[in-house]
Amino acid sequence: MLGSLIFLGGSAVYALYWAASHGQFKKMDQGAKIIFDSGEPVGKVTDQFPGVDMKKKEEQRLAKRKMKKA
Amino acid sequence: MSQNLKNMPVEANDALERAQVDASCRVPVLLFFATAIFWLVVGTVFGLIASLKLHDPYFIIELPSWFAFYLEKFSPAGTVEMINSSLTFGRIRPAHLNTVAYGWGSPAGLGVAIWLMARLCRVPLRYPTLVSAAGVLWNIGMVVGIGALLSGGSTSIEWLEFPPYVTFILFISFALISIWAVDMFVHRKPGHVYVSLWYIMAALFWFPWLYGTANILIQLAPAQGSVQGIINWWYGHNALGLWFTPLGLAAAYYMIPKVIGRPVYSYYLSAFGFWALALFYSWNGGHHLIGGPLPAWLITTSIVASVMMVIPVVVTAINHHMTMKGNFNVLRYSPTLRFVVFGAMSYTLASLQGSSMAFRELNAITHFTHYTIGHSHLGLYAFYTMIMFGSIYYIVPRLLGREWVSALLIKVHFWTCAYGIVTMVLLLSVGGAIQGWMLQHPENPLNKFSDIVEATKPWLRGRSISGCLIMVGHLAFAYHFALMLLKFGRSEGGPTLLAQPESNTDSAGSHS
Repeated sequence: MLGSLIFLGGSAVYALYWAASHGQFKKMDQGAKIIFDSGEPVGKVTDQFPGVDMKKKEEQRLAKRKMKKA
Repeated sequence: MSQNLKNMPVEANDALERAQVDASCRVPVLLFFATAIFWLVVGTVFGLIASLKLHDPYFIIELPSWFAFYLEKFSPAGTVEMINSSLTFGRIRPAHLNTVAYGWGSPAGLGVAIWLMARLCRVPLRYPTLVSAAGVLWNIGMVVGIGALLSGGSTSIEWLEFPPYVTFILFISFALISIWAVDMFVHRKPGHVYVSLWYIMAALFWFPWLYGTANILIQLAPAQGSVQGIINWWYGHNALGLWFTPLGLAAAYYMIPKVIGRPVYSYYLSAFGFWALALFYSWNGGHHLIGGPLPAWLITTSIVASVMMVIPVVVTAINHHMTMKGNFNVLRYSPTLRFVVFGAMSYTLASLQGSSMAFRELNAITHFTHYTIGHSHLGLYAFYTMIMFGSIYYIVPRLLGREWVSALLIKVHFWTCAYGIVTMVLLLSVGGAIQGWMLQHPENPLNKFSDIVEATKPWLRGRSISGCLIMVGHLAFAYHFALMLLKFGRSEGGPTLLAQPESNTDSAGSHS
């Protein structure tokens, strides 16, 4: 049990040390963008219901809202 | 191939890289998803039977006589009696828990984790046969394990009901995946390690450690006396907090920004949330034993750690909310986002409720009541399962190169499950609070034990109805998934997959 605890605690400390020494805590705003690429860049929605034209629907919705306000 | 990639425009190159990664994951990830959905349906049937038996104990107490008559004729002696005894609440209830936790929750999370690992390491899946073999082994363990529970082989220790020989199979399967994950991590493309990858690596490291240690100390070399209780709930709570929670959060931290096309609001907060979870969660299990025969310092430490969990939870909630801010309109159009945001909001609720339940005063009322069952469903279903549904809706079309077949089926799935789980949690919370209050006041002549049982019945009936709603959603989901496997979905044919809108009018990512 004691060995197991030391092993777990030690590995957590090592993970933190590894992250710090490998620059994982530097330029974090850039890090947040690594899930995007040139094909799926920031600003592009990548999921929608099948057969739905989101852009068209959104335009219709906003037009309706404008009409109501008017 | 590399020469071709060099000559391609960057956009096509990135799309091809994504398509190659997705194609490499196809067989193992679909295997995990297909088997997880099978167990989800089986587990829901078990759950529904157990729920009905709580307010109608004579519901399916034995096989119909005509069926038993024919079964007796064509099966070994004793089969009918064995099936009849497997229908008792004491066997069906653990079968439900183990089916949804180890049959649905873990393989679904592993499927999502495997795909995310490949995407975030930006390399095709290494050793897909090994991963598939681990999936097959896991399911062999599940079949043997559920068979053992239904035939009376339970260890009677909550969350660890499977007998040791089943535990061994599951452990080997999991160890294979953990070793594979380390190999993937070592061979990833150089660069930043995204927060989801931190969560996944941690979960794949924590779970075998938890599962192995708990099983050694309870089954192979059992600790004596009340220490077993500590180990039991150290494992039981950490299975939720250090296994399911990191997988759910890993998926949420990837899916929300990726779907709306906007980076996480504060990446600093996401890293802080991860390390705070790693630090505080593992101390929480003792709050299940408040009032038990254990040292007071141990329980108090757990209560303090449970309250400290407010920090990573609030951090995560703020981060998800601020990332979504200005993009809530996408919820109308994205199935993934609907499920994932529902799950992320439930995470906040479930965690804050959990912290409050650790207080001795509240725990005295809620402990051993249906309130706790409501809380566990809020965590494992409204949070974790809904995020898994959303992730599967995102991943499967990319693996198969096909759109989902029907928007209606997705909407049926979402609304039945959302209404079902909200109703279930509300009913169990109110019914459980009444039950707890009555149990606390035995001096009242109206609070005889039989009266308390009667008082919970209307709430339990309502819970069964909400369970039926959830069952409808699961059947719609399973049917839809089967249609996808049978290639009914519209094929896009290109490497980018799915018709993608040019941009979202409100999602310019201008919060920075």
